Parts: sequence; C-alpha cells; structure tokens
Amino acid sequence: MAGDGYDSNGDRELTEEFVERWRTNAYGCFSSGHKFCREVCPVMQVTRNENHTPTAFHANIVAMEQGLVGVADVADDYVHCTQCGACELRCPNTLMAGDFYRHRTRTVDVVKAMRALMVATGNEREGWRLWNERLAEAHNEPVLGDAPVSQEHVADWADGLDIPIGGETILFVDCEAAFHRTSYTRAFARLLQAAGLEFGLMREQWCCGGPAAEMGYVELARRHADHNVADWRAVGAKRIVAPDPHDFIAFTEDYPSYYGDDYEFEIVLGVELVNDLVKEGRLRLTRPVERTVTYHDPCRLNKRKGVHAAPRELLRAVPGIDFRDVDHVTQWSYCSGGGGGLPIEKPEIAEEISRRRVARAQELEVDTLISACPWSERPLSAAGSAAEQPLEVMDLFELVAESAGLEIGGHAHAPAREARS
Amino acid sequence: MSVAFKSAVDDHVLDELRAIVGDDDRVLGNLSSRVNRTRVPAPFPVHRWADHMPDVAVLPRTAQEVSEIVKLANRLRIPVVPRAGGTGLADGAVPLRGGILVDVKLMNRIGEIDLVDRTVTVGPGINMLKLNEELKRHGVFYPDDPASYPCSLVGGRIGAGGWSLLGARFGHTRENVVSMEVVLPTGEIAQIGDGGGRKLRKSSTALNLKQLFTGHQGTLGICTEATLELAPRPETEFAAFFAFDEYAKAWETTGRLAKSGLATLAGVVLFDEWKIAYLRRDDEAYIEQPPSVRAVVAVAMYGRRVEVEPASRVVMALGRSAGGKYLGDEISAGDWASRHDRYAIPLHGRSVEGQAVPMSWHCEDAALNYSVLPQVREQWHAIVARYRERYGIFDDWGMFAYTNGPYKPWADYLVEIDVGIWEQKLDEENWAAWVACKREIAEVTLAHGGSITACHGATRAGDAELVPAEMGSAWPVVKAIKRALDPNNVMNPGKQSLDQAYEDET
Repeated sequence: MAGDGYDSNGDRELTEEFVERWRTNAYGCFSSGHKFCREVCPVMQVTRNENHTPTAFHANIVAMEQGLVGVADVADDYVHCTQCGACELRCPNTLMAGDFYRHRTRTVDVVKAMRALMVATGNEREGWRLWNERLAEAHNEPVLGDAPVSQEHVADWADGLDIPIGGETILFVDCEAAFHRTSYTRAFARLLQAAGLEFGLMREQWCCGGPAAEMGYVELARRHADHNVADWRAVGAKRIVAPDPHDFIAFTEDYPSYYGDDYEFEIVLGVELVNDLVKEGRLRLTRPVERTVTYHDPCRLNKRKGVHAAPRELLRAVPGIDFRDVDHVTQWSYCSGGGGGLPIEKPEIAEEISRRRVARAQELEVDTLISACPWSERPLSAAGSAAEQPLEVMDLFELVAESAGLEIGGHAHAPAREARS
Repeated sequence: MSVAFKSAVDDHVLDELRAIVGDDDRVLGNLSSRVNRTRVPAPFPVHRWADHMPDVAVLPRTAQEVSEIVKLANRLRIPVVPRAGGTGLADGAVPLRGGILVDVKLMNRIGEIDLVDRTVTVGPGINMLKLNEELKRHGVFYPDDPASYPCSLVGGRIGAGGWSLLGARFGHTRENVVSMEVVLPTGEIAQIGDGGGRKLRKSSTALNLKQLFTGHQGTLGICTEATLELAPRPETEFAAFFAFDEYAKAWETTGRLAKSGLATLAGVVLFDEWKIAYLRRDDEAYIEQPPSVRAVVAVAMYGRRVEVEPASRVVMALGRSAGGKYLGDEISAGDWASRHDRYAIPLHGRSVEGQAVPMSWHCEDAALNYSVLPQVREQWHAIVARYRERYGIFDDWGMFAYTNGPYKPWADYLVEIDVGIWEQKLDEENWAAWVACKREIAEVTLAHGGSITACHGATRAGDAELVPAEMGSAWPVVKAIKRALDPNNVMNPGKQSLDQAYEDET
C-alpha cells in the first residue's frame, strides 16, 4: 500500500540497495534545496509541477530512506525527464565544487537507476514495456511511427553507397537514423567517403541499448551491448564512429561501465570527426548555402558531453550561410523533448517542449533550424511543420554535405510501412 | 468563533477542488505531490516530515480559481498555504497544519510590457532570471536580485518581503512591486497598490495597502498577479573586493562606503573573520589568500558610465582608506558575477572533532543598525559555539552584513549568520536545541534594537514566539488587521504567532 514505507510487492531489499547507493548524492541536493535546476529543466518549464523537478528526484530518495514513500508512490515523477543533463550543470553543487573535486550532481543516473528499480519491482510503465518488448524481438528499436524495423532492413539506408562490412573503423548507425531519417546517415557516410576515410558496417548491427538503459531495462540493454561488442571484435574493429550523440553516450558511458578495462575501442564522435576533416582540408565546403539558420545544441552533446564548439565551427565553415547563434549556456534550458523515452510515455509534454524550442528559433527570424542529433530532428521537424510559419529542420551533416556538393539521397522522414507485420 | 486548526480535506473537498479547476491533473492528492511540497531550504525536521505535509496540492492557472479555492477553504475552515518557488529561508511556504497548498508555479505568464509607463505585469509563478531574459531585448530589467535570483519566484518574493543584493541602488521587492492583485483570505480579489492606479508609484489616497501585502509570509492572502517596475538596464557595473587584517577596519570601511553618498552604489557587503575562516577551511571555490586576510568588504555599483567610472575612483580610495587591500580585478569581477551561484553550496561542515560531515546550510537573518554590528557579531558567534560544543551537529560558517536600507544604505544592515546543521542527526532533542539556538540569536537582535528578520520571515518556532515582543505596542494593531482580513484563520495559520489574534475570542 502506498505510504507504508516500501511498495507492496515486497522488493524491500532492492529498494534499500537503491537508497544506500544514492543517498549521499541525494543528500547533497536535499541539503541545498535551492532548485536552480527548476528553471532550466525542459519538462518543468512545461508542467511547472514540483514533482518533476530534479530536486524532487533527490528528495524522494531521502523520503524513501525515512520510510515515507515507496517506489510505487514516486514512480511517475521519474517518467518526467528527458535525461538532458541541464539540472546537473545548473546545480550549485556542480557549479562551485565541480572544478575542484570534479563533483557533478548525478541526476540522470538517478533517474536511470530509479527506472531500473521500477522495472525490477513491477512498477514499469506500459508504453516503455511494449517498446522494449519489441526491441527484444527485433533487436532494433521500434522507432516511433510505421517505419519497418528489422535486421533485414537495418542497412537499407546505405543502398548504393557501396560500404563494406567490417574493418578497423566501424560506422555505427543509430536506429532512428537507420530507419527514419536516412538522409542524415547517408550525408554522414558520403562525407566520410568524400574525405577518403575507410570504414565499414557491422555484420549484424543491433540497437546500442542506450534507450533501453534510459528506460530502466538494464538486462536488455546489456544484451545488446554484448552483441555489438562481440560483432566489433569479430570484424577486427579498433574504432567506432558514432555520429549520433545518443550512441556516443552509450559507448562512452554505458559500455565502459559494463566492461571496465575489457573495452578496447576508440570511440569517435561524428561531428568532431567531420569538423576535423574540414579543418584539415580533406573536405572542401565550396558550394554556398543561402540559408539563415540557428543551431540547436543537442542535449547529449552540449549538456552531457560539453560538445558545443565543433558543431559551431562546422556551421561557420559553410559559405553563404547566415548563422544566428544562441550561446550554449543559454541553451542549457532548451531541449527538443525527444530524449529519455519521454515521447513514448508523455507525448503531449514532449510536443510542447519541441514547440517551445522551435518558437525560440523563430524569434531569430531564421528559415532553418540546424541540429546534430536525429532524435531531436523528428520532434523539432514536427513542431516546425505545425508552426504558424513553418520552419525547416535540417541536420548539420545534411547541410555540410550539401555545401560539399554531395548527393545524399535517403529521406528525412520514414515512409509509411505498406503492411505491418 | 471556530478557527481552522486542523485539516478537514476529504473526498468531498477534493471533488469540489476538481470542479473548481476543471482538470484532475492540477489537484494533486497523491503522496509524492504532498511529500514534495512540504519543505523549503530552511532546516527541516526530517524526522517530522509527515507532520508538515499538505493534504492536497492545487495548481491553479487563474485568480478566479485561486479565489474559489480560498472561498471553499474559508467556508470549511481548511488551512490554505500559498507556495511559489518553495525556496524561502524561513518557513513561509511550509504547511504547519496540513490543508490545501496553493502552488502558483503555473501562473508564470508575462503579460503587458509597458515601455512608456515602465511596468511589466506578470503572474506570481515567474522567476526573475527568466523574466529578465525576456526583458533584455527591450533595454529594461526588473531589478529584484536576491542570492536566489535563479530560483525564487515573484510571488514568493512578495509574500516574504524579499531583499535584493542591489537594493541600495534599485530598492528591494517592496519598492519594485508597483501594484498587485491579491486573493484575500475570504476569497475576494482585490487590486492592491500604493493608492489606486495600477501603475502608480506614489499616492496619498486612503491607506497604503501595498506595504501591508508585501512581507506577510502568506498570512494575508495570495498574490495572483503583480505589476512590476522596469528599470533602465545599467550600462555598466563595477565591483571591488577589499581585504583587511582585522574586522574593525573592515567594519569602519563598510560604514565609509555606505555613507559615501554615491547614487550608483548598489550594495556593500562585510564578511567577518568566521566567514573568511570558513571559506578558507571548507569552501571548494575559495581562492587562496594570505593568512593576514581576516575580513573582506565587497562593494558594487550600477549605472551609466559617466556616473560609475568616476565614482569607482572614490570607491577605490574609500576601500583603501582604513587599511583595505584591493583583491584585484579578477576576484572582484568574478566573485561578484558568481554571487548567485555561490548561494548555498556547502556539501559539508565539520563536527566538533573537525571531521567533515554532510551538513545543511541555514541562514539566520536580522535587521540591525550599523552601530551594533560588532557586538551582535560577538554574541551570535558565542551562542553558536555553545550549541556546537554541546550538541555536535552544528557548525559556524561565519557572518555577512549587507546594506539593507532601500536607496539609503548608510545605517541599516541585513545581518546573517550561516550555521551548518547535520540534518540527518536531527531528532526531537536536537531539533529543540536548534529552535532554542535560533531564539537566543533573535533575542540578541531584539536587545540591540533590531528586527529578528530583514527578509526571510519570522515564521517558525524560535522566531515566531518573539514577534509580539518585537512589535510591542503595535502588536494589537497587527492582530486586529489579521483578524479583520482572515476571520477564520485559514490563511497560512500558525505563522508569526498570529494565532494570538484569535485567542480573545475562544
């Protein structure tokens, strides 16, 4: 029964382990309690519900320790998060202690851990359960909508590009980018080819497992990681190129936490690679692009990984472009709404976050919003199309490929599936 | 007369609330919603968490909804507690008797921006930093700048009667709220200003109600809209930090700066020896200074270049006039720029044995005149030392004194002592010790002709019982006003000893 200390299904031990693991981190927030995070949190900006503040995510743990609430009581709070990381940056504890002790208030990890506890204690959310069931069957994410997702089609995006299988450098393609926004992936692959970079695809590419981990499906995530790592080793891979920021997080945070020292791969972030290729003169951006643009800092690049300079350098290297920038710190409070599984469970909140982000861009009187993350581009495109004055959303790689004079092909939106299986 | 002392929120009341707001998602009776609207950053008796939970939280969108909620509460004698940011340093937003918590965060709309008559009209749920992001493009700003600038909300600032770091130059919350819409404890909606006129700063008609409705700690009503001042965005700012080898010189310098007569002076801050020792010992962001640095004075100015630049030379001379050593441009500009981020950062304090332990920060404030700052400081530190020694869960993190008079910084100070509390160790005995410690601090304030709070509020045990003594011969007037406006004591009951307003009747 709610409120009797722990949830009714008797998983007291798991809950106690969770509290023990996170209590010190939670108390660091609780003892401050100032909620600087509130006004940068994209969800909180929409709902204005104090339960959805990162502060509440930590206070709940202290309340659990006090026996005041159980998992069932607080589970819904933790659904309200895109795992963008803004709260961690804005936390006064991170801001003032971070440089000295490398302290960063950990809220994203708390949300992930609580969602895992929700799964383990029978408090999972229905939308996420179905999503992960389908992932377990197809080994690629059932991306939103009707895109045909299966191993059979995972490399369809590369039709005609003549990319080999295997090699020392492997291009890992995110599910969203493989099935939905294939123009993004094709643009990236064409850029690498134009620069003369050798790379191959996996024999059998499964989902990175990151979204499953974000929704609390830990074992499923691990199974996918195991498969991918085994596939990389089987083809002799030394480095993995990850154009998608979500994959980059999985490969640089989740995978190392699974494998420790037994993880030998160099992980290369796509946008930094392309920027380097341009700076080294291996890619020439010669074709002017007459667009007035602003740049959306993808949360997982800017807030989670501190990557904000390379995309801007790349944008400024495109001739003819009118780039109206909003600095990356202001963008701590921006988000597309696309992350952390929010669109699956709370689509109305995710849509409002996207709408507001597009409205911010429109205040700058631009014709194109450039992003660098396929997960952001779907909700932003939807909001851009629905706006009174439609705004086009384009990926940075698509833009750069156009400026490099490359034919891309592919599509920015998945075609409707003819018949659902 | 019956008085609302106990909650009577039942299913029928919940149904009525749902009918009022017409949206079940904005009537929150679940445990988590109540648990998370129980505390503020003030020390919290974790062991008594459940005692402070509201019975239901409601998230209204309009003044009409607030009005209907309060009418319902008044009819059924149910306590109502207004809550904005929940970032206050006293317990204004903490329910003492359960009831209906009115959370105004959804009322965060920016309405009219009037650049001609220089006002902006907002909902009480908006944050000042967010508001100023929008105002920036118009070349104006709302100059209410507390340490909690990134997190506190306009409604809470009005309820608490907030203090601003820039108050010497631009005034505090009171001076920057031109008028407001308030739902009274009986549910009527009233437009409150200096007189009439929503955008007028000064009137002599009837009674000046604006003062009454700023700083009542949520005991006289709920602000549902505010018309705020728009000041010209300052062209430049100047900040300087000076170090001293003894407190007396720093205190003397603070007085000279505050009495300088410089119109662009926005504030002077005095850090005492305990504060510097604490920063040196336990502040991760402290920039190392030689041991001779034992007190620091910070000063800031805002305005046009033609004013600030020549005035900065006067400040530099005054800052050095009693042995002050300028700490350099980098520390001065950097520390001032990070004044909000430096707010409440400690993750730990020290046990009596010197062991680092997790501690919460508590800031006990008072309003005091300049002349008594040195003696009050000695006595406050002695009190904290005694409790620290005896209970082992407190730590002295030093004192600040800030210029407090709006536009007239020369004689009044907001004085704060920061006390670390090992909150996880709180039990009945330790909590009682903390309350007693607070009370002793407040008693010293009163003995020196001060006020027990300059901005946080005297809402909780330890302060609240001293409010009648501080108010003295004016206390019957306060009680009469409270009873007249809130006949059933439903509006944030139990705060500031205002229950006494009803004692004659029972």
